[in-house]
Amino acid sequence: MSETISKLVQQTAADWSSVMPPNRPAVLLAGQMEGTIAGFTAERGKMKFEEEPSSFEAALQATKEVAA
Amino acid sequence: MNVQASKFATLCDLSMTEAADEVAKGNVTSVELTEAALAAFELREDKINSVIWLEREAALEKAAELDALQKSGAELGPLHGVPLAHKDMYYQAGKLTTCGSKIRKDFRPDYSATVMDRLHGAGSLTLGGLNMAEFAQNPTGHNVHYGDCHNPWGYEYCTGGSSSGSGAAVGAHCVTAALGSDTGGSIRLPAAICGVTGIKPTQTRVSRYGVMPLSFSCDNVGPLARTARDCARIMTVIAGKDPMDPTSSAEPVPDYEAALTGDIRGLKIGVPENYFLEDASPEIADAFAAALEVLKARGAEIVSVTLPEMAAITTYGGIVSRCEGSTIHAQWMRERPEDYAVHLSGRMYAGYAIPAVQYLEALARRGGILKTFAAEVFGKCDVLASPTLRWRTPTLAAASMETGGDDAIETFMNVSINTRPMNYLGLPAVSVNSGFDDNGMPIGFQIAGRPFAEAKVLKVADAFQLDTDWHMQKSPVAQMI
Repeated sequence: MSETISKLVQQTAADWSSVMPPNRPAVLLAGQMEGTIAGFTAERGKMKFEEEPSSFEAALQATKEVAA
Repeated sequence: MNVQASKFATLCDLSMTEAADEVAKGNVTSVELTEAALAAFELREDKINSVIWLEREAALEKAAELDALQKSGAELGPLHGVPLAHKDMYYQAGKLTTCGSKIRKDFRPDYSATVMDRLHGAGSLTLGGLNMAEFAQNPTGHNVHYGDCHNPWGYEYCTGGSSSGSGAAVGAHCVTAALGSDTGGSIRLPAAICGVTGIKPTQTRVSRYGVMPLSFSCDNVGPLARTARDCARIMTVIAGKDPMDPTSSAEPVPDYEAALTGDIRGLKIGVPENYFLEDASPEIADAFAAALEVLKARGAEIVSVTLPEMAAITTYGGIVSRCEGSTIHAQWMRERPEDYAVHLSGRMYAGYAIPAVQYLEALARRGGILKTFAAEVFGKCDVLASPTLRWRTPTLAAASMETGGDDAIETFMNVSINTRPMNYLGLPAVSVNSGFDDNGMPIGFQIAGRPFAEAKVLKVADAFQLDTDWHMQKSPVAQMI
């Protein structure tokens, strides 16, 4: 667990949402956001300029099962 | 065993389709089925704690109405006379819907869920609301407000969640089927762990109107039942466009049950070379290999597939539902955080610090990743097989964030590692029982397909059940008479 990240999460949650850490697991899991950040770092540069959330519904149709 | 006990056991052990078909033929009445289900709950509930509320008198009155209709010669729905109970998050106007929470312990919505209307329209009756993870937000079945749900195969073990009561009640043969919901595995996990069958449909396949929300991008409604055939019949009833849910798909709904021909000759079953079996418990891997042999013996072809984008899928999938859940619960998290269990608030908390840029990146890339996944995986196989859980079923104590210590957090978070990818990808996936581990706990076998391939994944599941009897095995609780 990263204490730096945990503190950052706590500060952000407090500043933006006025939500405080409700218990110890919340603090521990906040520190584990370090792994999530690393995951996003690894994905940098892969998003296409035109991609948007609604492309998912289109993708469901584009990749759907075609009845035999 | 006396005659009465024998009849009770016979009624409780019917599958849902068998029960409905027997009612239609006039061999069994809805009142008999309802009395048996209520008696089963009375006898077995101490061992599983699957119920939040039951309406005994109202259920028996409704059953008598349905019997009168059957005797009148009226055209009957495909679920006519079958008593069901559902995860306590499906709204019925004026009826209690606790969502497994303290916050909504007295909540009575003034409208009904489309899926409930459809189930009732098909002739089923509802006995009550089943236990669940608080606001559908844990994969184990813990609930501090209504008591933990217990596994019918072993009292000290998790049921899986969040549709814990649905898995336990079906696994204990108290009801033949129950609705669950699945945002990260919440149908497939309790189905796997309680030894029953459950399907998460394609995202948008089933209406979510009148269903407690958790994540508008990843929530799905689906059944847990004894057999793939039961699930197919329920899916045919509940799937399809709903004007009240603009996100629901207009894709035509086939007769899923008619697709269960048992013929899977030439069908390509994809076996993942990466992710789903990494560090799997040996007995889980063995059961998976044995399940593949069953399908192969029926004429399916086994092909290896390398799954693309798994790092992105796990990273993105891990934050979408967390951000959306955090948004929905923000006001209560500010005003009354103490009313949430640690299992929920502890996990949800970090969602308040995930930047919108990252959340939107996860959603924006979802379509492209699905296309890549579908091309590289379903370009080579018809369905993708995997274990539903990668490791043995944990005990309630080992996965308790309330009392289990720091190790429990990891155990808790790992339960859904093999189910969450299907939610991010929006794919249909079914879980069936494929054996038992050294502790006597069921082992789930997951079969996923392309979007809207419910008929195909159910067909494979049904074919598997034609040649195995894992789904017919009775848990110790189901044997209580």
